[in-house]
Amino acid sequence: MKLLRELGIVGVSVALGLGVGAIITAATGYSVPAVFRELVRGAFGDIYGFANTMTQATPILFTSLSFLIAFRVGLFNIGAEGQLLLGGFFAAWAGFTLNLPPILHVVVCLFFGAAAGAAWGFIPGWLRARRGANEFVTTMMLSYVALYLTSWLVSPGGPYHGHQWANQTARIMSSAELPRLMASGRELPSWGLVVGVLVAVIAWYFLFRTPRGYEIRAVGQSPLAAEYGGVDIARAQILAMVLAGALAGLGGAAEILGTHRRFIEGFSPGYGWDGIAGGLIARAHPIGAVFAALLMGALRAGGRAVDRAGVAPSDLAWVFQGLVILFVVAPELIRYFKRIRLRRRAHGRPEP
Amino acid sequence: MGVLSLDLFVAALRLATPIAFVALGETFSERSGTINIGVEGTALAGALIGATVSFFSQSPWLGLAAAVGVGMLLGLIHAIWCVYLRSDHVVAGAAINLLVTGLAYFLTRVVWGWRGTSASAPILNPWLLVWTMVALVLISQIFLFRTPWGLRLRVVGEHPKAADTAGINVYRTRVGYSVLNGALCGLAGAFLFNNLGRFSVGMVGGRGFIGIAAMVVGNYRPIPAFLAAYLFGFVDALQMRLQDVIPSHFSIMLPYVLTIIVLAGFLGRANVPAALGKPYIKEEG
Amino acid sequence: MSAEAVRMEGIVKRFPGVVANAGIDLTLNYGEVHGLLGENGAGKSVLMSVLYGLYRPTEGQIYLNERPISIDSPAVAIRSGIGMVHQHFMLVPRLTVAENMVVGWETVRAKTFLDRPRIRQRIEELSEQYGLGVDATAVVEELSVGEQQRVEIVKALYRGAEVLILDEPTATLPEQEVAALFDTIRALQDEGKAVVFITHKLREALTICDQVTVLRKGEKVGSVPASEATERQLTEMMVGRDVVFEVQRERLESEGRPLLQLAGLSAVDDRGVPAVDEVDLTVHDHEIVGVAGVQGNGQTELVETICGLRKPRQGRVEVDGEDLTARSPRDMARKGLVHIPEDRHRRGLVLTFSVAENAILGRQYEAPFAAGRWGQSKRAIGGYARELVKRFNVSVPGVRTAVRALSGGNQQRVILARELDREPKVVIAAQPTRGLDVAGIEFVWEQLLEMRREGAAVLLVSMDLDELMTLSDRLVIMYQGKIVGERKPRDTDKQEIGLLMLGGAVEAS
Repeated sequence: MKLLRELGIVGVSVALGLGVGAIITAATGYSVPAVFRELVRGAFGDIYGFANTMTQATPILFTSLSFLIAFRVGLFNIGAEGQLLLGGFFAAWAGFTLNLPPILHVVVCLFFGAAAGAAWGFIPGWLRARRGANEFVTTMMLSYVALYLTSWLVSPGGPYHGHQWANQTARIMSSAELPRLMASGRELPSWGLVVGVLVAVIAWYFLFRTPRGYEIRAVGQSPLAAEYGGVDIARAQILAMVLAGALAGLGGAAEILGTHRRFIEGFSPGYGWDGIAGGLIARAHPIGAVFAALLMGALRAGGRAVDRAGVAPSDLAWVFQGLVILFVVAPELIRYFKRIRLRRRAHGRPEP
Repeated sequence: MGVLSLDLFVAALRLATPIAFVALGETFSERSGTINIGVEGTALAGALIGATVSFFSQSPWLGLAAAVGVGMLLGLIHAIWCVYLRSDHVVAGAAINLLVTGLAYFLTRVVWGWRGTSASAPILNPWLLVWTMVALVLISQIFLFRTPWGLRLRVVGEHPKAADTAGINVYRTRVGYSVLNGALCGLAGAFLFNNLGRFSVGMVGGRGFIGIAAMVVGNYRPIPAFLAAYLFGFVDALQMRLQDVIPSHFSIMLPYVLTIIVLAGFLGRANVPAALGKPYIKEEG
Repeated sequence: MSAEAVRMEGIVKRFPGVVANAGIDLTLNYGEVHGLLGENGAGKSVLMSVLYGLYRPTEGQIYLNERPISIDSPAVAIRSGIGMVHQHFMLVPRLTVAENMVVGWETVRAKTFLDRPRIRQRIEELSEQYGLGVDATAVVEELSVGEQQRVEIVKALYRGAEVLILDEPTATLPEQEVAALFDTIRALQDEGKAVVFITHKLREALTICDQVTVLRKGEKVGSVPASEATERQLTEMMVGRDVVFEVQRERLESEGRPLLQLAGLSAVDDRGVPAVDEVDLTVHDHEIVGVAGVQGNGQTELVETICGLRKPRQGRVEVDGEDLTARSPRDMARKGLVHIPEDRHRRGLVLTFSVAENAILGRQYEAPFAAGRWGQSKRAIGGYARELVKRFNVSVPGVRTAVRALSGGNQQRVILARELDREPKVVIAAQPTRGLDVAGIEFVWEQLLEMRREGAAVLLVSMDLDELMTLSDRLVIMYQGKIVGERKPRDTDKQEIGLLMLGGAVEAS
């Protein structure tokens, strides 16, 4: 029942977002049916379309999980972007520095990425729990610090500038690569997606099947009751932020090891921000995040197809995504309409 | 010496302008109790629409009006979301940022056929907006602390129930200042466009967030927030000249690091409005 | 007789599921202090919120100066000369006295700027006229409670109040400041203001008021001139003579084992003001000790301090001879002290969690619910919850239902089931029946008596005197953080306890 209700809210929000998107499409002179047809075909029409959807979805899945785990404890991690960048860099560093046997090397690189992200999540978590600093401002600010830090590391003056003309590191060793799921080709998803789905399941298990996860959820829902139940609130907050950082860092690592194979400045077009959307569309449920990430990946992949077919610019899909999010964050909107209807009825006034 | 010449200070003022506009807007918004991290996107929308309208009408003045108008519209949306729909302030703001970024890429493609940039369009002298900003900073300081409206605004953000019992409409006040915040962010965007002569998606580049940082460092007061913005602008101007000496990356980080230190309370108590980010639920009556 | 200021006729105020005011008539005259007396939840504050425009009455009419008026917002009330001093002050701590006073009602010059000199001058005038000693430039957070209250009074006068409502003005006021407040009220009276004095303290009402109206459960019980009323008469009007059902409370012999011992326990409230003052108290096995007291006399803080939710300033808490002072709530529970919290919605339950999840709150690390740190057995939790639901007769569709969807009585059953199933040595029950219906109350009472039968020590904090008289072996009375008396229910009556609760003289009968 609960699941149905949640799905209903998300469904209505998505429909509202796409509806307004359709109006914008029409208003700018494009064909609504053609755009939607290409969108669906590009995202799910054939195996390559779907592969593209999955590739696009992978990093968003990690940042969605990052956002939602902090959200579950009642905090906003809007700095997944920075955690992802640092995670990506340190994974790359381990990838081209350490010399390890194939599978172990990948694992170690992923671990480096997660650890770097975790450290970047710990700072705002600690500042919030112990010093009362607003975590949404600190995570945002730390995001930019990470952006400029990694950018410096690979800049011409920096220590890991590994290319003549591009700001990027050297290529990671082949032992550190996360192989692609299907035959070669840049657009195909890597094993990073499998890692992501696995991590989503683990996150679900952690939140809903362990005492620690139980405590994190209790703190998020009712700090007073959690305190009464013997939960150390500060510790739960810090733990959740560390995990949030680790998840985003892992996402950065997976993206570098699986897709780019080296750290490139600006490799993230805003995956951290997309994670906020993904986490919210998922209604903060880890398994939901898999589908939310796929939805957003589909919009991206579909958007490209829309462009290729010459129907409309691909960025239209981005607009759709923004609109969907705007409606997802306003669940009250749906309740609001319901309330107005009820009130009208209560006052015996006719409905318009 | 040589580096510290007069035009360094002048350049700093120019670089500080968009930051100060946002800081000012966010000061009003947060003083009334509404957090808006959508300022980044709102400024971007101001630049985008300002450039578009100026391009088509060939009137930079119309462009300016449109920039302010779209800012107010986004401020209104944010306020409706936060005040009436009780959406979380942070996620509503993040949604606005994402939406506007998408719209910016889309509209530039639709209008000019280039992804993320516009053609050049007629502009105003950017100094006009710089001095507007300076004037608004001074007026805001007086408005906030010397006028009845400023007093009411502060009470709404600190203790909405007290405001309500004093006969002040909390909802209307919050919506009003959210719209004002949008207008000022629109001006920030308008400045960026008029400064460059064209629109580019990267032109805000975190200045909206730095505006919030300036507000935090300025402790929710217009003049100190402006001084913080000026400091950030100065560092920005300085690093352009010192690029060969120290990597610019580190000086750019300054606003962010400083904000974290301020927020951590290492520099004394912040003036965070007591009811910031909390919806005011008027009891049934 | 002086002129009529306000007449409220047939005021009805309904909230979803509650009738807060059931047709109340009230007349206020200029130059008169009108006491509004009643227990918590009697509807006093709601009635005055209607007059101040915070609530719109469901039915009824208000007349101001004999003319009908519709007061649909505080702004209208202020313009009409009605002022209110709320129990929780409507002051912004970080602003100055002057800023707080004038907000929404500012004196300006050039139609733009706050006219600070004139504002200050007007405040000083008013302050002097009523002997209030208010400094316009002080910052509110640096003032004492009494000073803040005077600021609120001047604030109302500044806005031209002719009718002044004081909502429980003595509730948070230290004893020594009450006399000064009364002087102020008399000065207001002399100026011809109509004053409403809301209180549940009888003696204060008799001291300061001309006329006293008593409310009980949303109804007006009566209105009498203070000169003709006695404390006993008013107490009866306030608490009524409700017939309560009988419960079986058999005679039990205590072994005299002290299971809960408090020695010199002191604590401060959230604002840092002393709230619990050197409390010594012992509860033995097979014993229920009731704590009576008017709300806000330190009971909440006492309970929180015992249960490890609030750090004591000094003193000791011992459970069955073991010193457990300032231990975490989880430790306390493990050592056999359980807590039925007074705020069941925010403390006792995670409302969005299921019945099953709430059933293990506080035991999330215990086997069989947890398998080490990294596992949780849904089966064990579900099975346990189903067992509790059955044993404690909780009416739920299933244990996966969110507790938010349950009735108040069933929510309380979930809490009781969870806590009492731990076979506690000590039960701390705070307001366990507040807001429950008869069946719910009966269930809670039976459970507490069952605990007593099994040998536990029960500390029962309640606002309901009937409950305390029915269940307790001994009663202690708390007043201003101290225990000011101890009685056995069979040697006393509600009137005497009521007087003690109000800080009255000990010998009343």
